Amino acid sequence: MSAVIEKPAARKHVIDERSFTHAAGLATGPVSVEPYRSPAFFELERERVFKRAWLCIGRIEQLPQINSYFTKDIEIWKASVLVTRDKHDRIRAFHNVCSHRGNLVVNQTCGVAERLVCRYHNWQYRNDGELIGVPDQKHFFDLDKKTCGLTPISCDIWEGFIFLNHQSKPEVSLAEFLGPFGTRYAGVPYFNLDETIVIQADFKANWKLIADAFAEPYHVPSLHPATLAPGFAHPEENRYARPLSAMAHGIHRHFSAYGNPDYVPAPTSKVEALVYVQDTGGVLGGDASDNAAALTAHPAINPTKDPCWSADVTWIFPNFNIDYSTGGFWTHEFWPVAHDRTHWTLKIYIPKTMSIRHRLQLEHYACRWAEVVLEDVTNCERIQRGLESGAKDTMILQDAEMLIRHSLHVLDKWVKADRVADALR
Amino acid sequence: MTVASPSLPPGFEELEAFVPYWVLDSNDQRRAARSTAEMDDIQRFYDAIVARAEQAIVHCEQFKLGQMPPASERLFKLLLAMNHAAIAVEMHGAPRAHESTWPSAVRITQGPWPHGGRI
Ligand code: FES
Ligand SMILES: [Fe+2]
Repeated sequence: MSAVIEKPAARKHVIDERSFTHAAGLATGPVSVEPYRSPAFFELERERVFKRAWLCIGRIEQLPQINSYFTKDIEIWKASVLVTRDKHDRIRAFHNVCSHRGNLVVNQTCGVAERLVCRYHNWQYRNDGELIGVPDQKHFFDLDKKTCGLTPISCDIWEGFIFLNHQSKPEVSLAEFLGPFGTRYAGVPYFNLDETIVIQADFKANWKLIADAFAEPYHVPSLHPATLAPGFAHPEENRYARPLSAMAHGIHRHFSAYGNPDYVPAPTSKVEALVYVQDTGGVLGGDASDNAAALTAHPAINPTKDPCWSADVTWIFPNFNIDYSTGGFWTHEFWPVAHDRTHWTLKIYIPKTMSIRHRLQLEHYACRWAEVVLEDVTNCERIQRGLESGAKDTMILQDAEMLIRHSLHVLDKWVKADRVADALR
Repeated sequence: MTVASPSLPPGFEELEAFVPYWVLDSNDQRRAARSTAEMDDIQRFYDAIVARAEQAIVHCEQFKLGQMPPASERLFKLLLAMNHAAIAVEMHGAPRAHESTWPSAVRITQGPWPHGGRI
């Protein structure tokens, strides 16, 4: 036996060269850019996609106790919605519109109240939607309070995420809508649910451009050379940050992102080295704990169980991402405002601040994220201008951009299908 | 508003010059300060704070988070701003991402507690 301890051979990353696009049964030709620049297509998306699909609008932790409520503007519906937790602990959603003369009832973004009062003439509603008080009621004509409650919105919960459906009788249930995605990702553990970093942007580009930007890592080395590339690509082993896997799950989809296992802050990056905890498996990791082990053990997460894994990006049709990493999870809501305007909310779930050093790390984490977001938003506004010019009618997608192709494919189905059941096929 | 001088704990006098610009209440304000500063000024602040970062952290660790005396809290906010200076110095070699537009559509509307801010 040798007394010399041999260094283990350097871990070599093996790129999966099977085609994600072929495996998902998708075509490979150029795709139309009309969905990104056409106001008419945008109206179709409003009516056929956003008013028929289940849309995630938040998490149950936003309603921490009985009588908690929050409101949210859903511009694509031209609606203000009110979400409540009633005294029976039921989570319900309503149009935030008074039955008297149509005023918005609640004007706070969140709070705790069993009774909600419209300030125009003080009509009072209970948080289960019932109209319970009408000042000077005797001068109304045959007013039946029972029929004058808040207008309910279909609401259902999956894994703590609250989904709404604009159809008064949704054609499909949330479970049917989520389909194979819902079963595959059931039971994934969520942690750090009480604290969030929130980054928002209102910008001049189609909502799909920013969704697309988070659906492929091919742009990471070029658009995010300093903020992300060192952690999510490798100069020799994965130069173009090729995904570890990319799959369609019914109308939804995911890709698994490569993480550079050799990543450490450069010697000149003194602050990053000072505040960075290097046991989270990626530069966007903000936490290290047993949580990571529970997450990576789930079969849906990093399904090929590649050791060079950093994060999974899941894209729930049409406009919601849940992304999982060993450091925690974050969500993206990509809200269409107009064919060339988007409101984007990124919520990053973080552990509670534990110490001075931990707080410094969280600051670094937040500002790295904001910088990534700035790079993407600026870029999306440029793409919108490029597409609006009419110079190009199509775009060309490579295999790592499979999720974008799948998104457009599903979108096309929804826009064309008269019945939601057909759009799900 | 002028800060009563000296505004930092004893021993950190050489950081005093950075208090008016870099001591800010929220994550988004610190980001905006860095994004609109000149690179030379960011570098000067970076060099000064990095040289004292360990001692400043040890100083702040005497107190509970969110319950520091004002002078120490200012020092802590300088440490928070150090992260933003690092984005410019260590990542871009420029105040913000290359070819990004400013004013920017991006806002950190909720930062980590404490001194993260909420918009
Ligand atoms: S509109 Fe609400 S009370 Fe009159
Ligand atoms: Fe990006």
